[in-house]
Amino acid sequence: MNRTIKYLLISLLLVIVQTTIARLLSLEGITPDLLVVWLVYLALTEGQLRASVWGFGIGLCLDLISGDFLGLSALTKTLCAFVTGYFYNENKTQMTLGSYRFLLIVLLGGLFHSLTYFLIFTLGTDISFWRVVFQLGLTTTLYTATVSLIPMFAFSRKLALRA
Amino acid sequence: MQRLFTIVRLFKEYFVLALLSVISLALLSLNDNSQIRTIRAYTIGIVGTLQSAISIIPNFFSLETENEILRQQNVVLTDEVSRLREARLENLRLREMLQLKEHSPFRLVAADVVGKTLDLLRNSITINAGERDGIRINMPIVSEAGLVGRVIATSSHYAVAQLMVNRDFRASAKIQRSRVMGILAWAGGESLQLKNVAKTQDVIEGDLAMTSEYSNVFPRDIKIGTVTHVAEREGGLFKEIQIRPSVDFAMLEHVFVITTTPNPERQALESKVAK
Repeated sequence: MNRTIKYLLISLLLVIVQTTIARLLSLEGITPDLLVVWLVYLALTEGQLRASVWGFGIGLCLDLISGDFLGLSALTKTLCAFVTGYFYNENKTQMTLGSYRFLLIVLLGGLFHSLTYFLIFTLGTDISFWRVVFQLGLTTTLYTATVSLIPMFAFSRKLALRA
Repeated sequence: MQRLFTIVRLFKEYFVLALLSVISLALLSLNDNSQIRTIRAYTIGIVGTLQSAISIIPNFFSLETENEILRQQNVVLTDEVSRLREARLENLRLREMLQLKEHSPFRLVAADVVGKTLDLLRNSITINAGERDGIRINMPIVSEAGLVGRVIATSSHYAVAQLMVNRDFRASAKIQRSRVMGILAWAGGESLQLKNVAKTQDVIEGDLAMTSEYSNVFPRDIKIGTVTHVAEREGGLFKEIQIRPSVDFAMLEHVFVITTTPNPERQALESKVAK
């Protein structure tokens, strides 16, 4: 199957999962952002440019579905993909995906995503930016990073089998 | 020209990022556009159907806590029902005495919550009642505990409601005991705040907050919540009032939509005076 179509199908599936089934994984109202993990994967395998476009598309879908703040997720997901795309290295993709580096990049991407998201989200309101970042941003990022252990171990195993 | 192309090619990632950011920011500023509302109506319809199907799966992580809370609520509600029965009888008797006719001016549409986003980012719910049931944007949503929010998007069978704990939510509210008025807004987290209440006005912890008659969206006297904290900052003109909503949004399963729309005569008069 064409890689773009494959990515498109996975992205759509993940957007639907994130907006419907992901709540089943919520702990104290905190839900992991599966799309950040997917975007980090795309950034590490496809590079900064393509990942940014995918981030924009995925974020836009999410905005349309959530019925609130059209453009906010599109912007923050684009930025998240762009920032994590700095870690793209064609020769070390598999090694990065199967090591703790993937986890660290998800943490960084998730944190950056939360910071930009809440920066815009709290603009013009009485909601404290730092309070929301500490209360929700950090916890969501940590939960997302924990979930990213699953693909990390899968890639690590794949790498070991290949060797 | 050739040089320009070389520069664009060299920094193509940055150009694409700038372009996508500009599009996103443009979309952010177009949030009330009618075309976007139409696209949203379609997506809400599709996602609402999916959420409706998935809502039968329980959240195993919270099942135990939910059961415990339900048991406690059951005890409280049983007690409350017996007290309400007494109050109802007394109320009927008093009404008869005063020859007041009991009336409910609003038509209520019952709906189930089929989707819920309570990650404290975009606090909203999806309900399985839509335009075909007479639901329109801005209609108030209530539960037996009090005010829940207002409808912000509709499709033919579903609607999305903005909860009180949403950054864009505003409502005119009053303190039941002292009739002090203020503007209700989300304070972040689980609490609300009552703004624009002067330091001289009488508000204490434990007071009940209700919707006021000044609102053109919400009917008056719907319970909002209880005042949990009142503070006065030095140099400020207003009190800092925090309110705990009476509705437990995490437990919300059934709601009622009050199918009332803003009074056009009142709106016309107010806009005429404003001009």
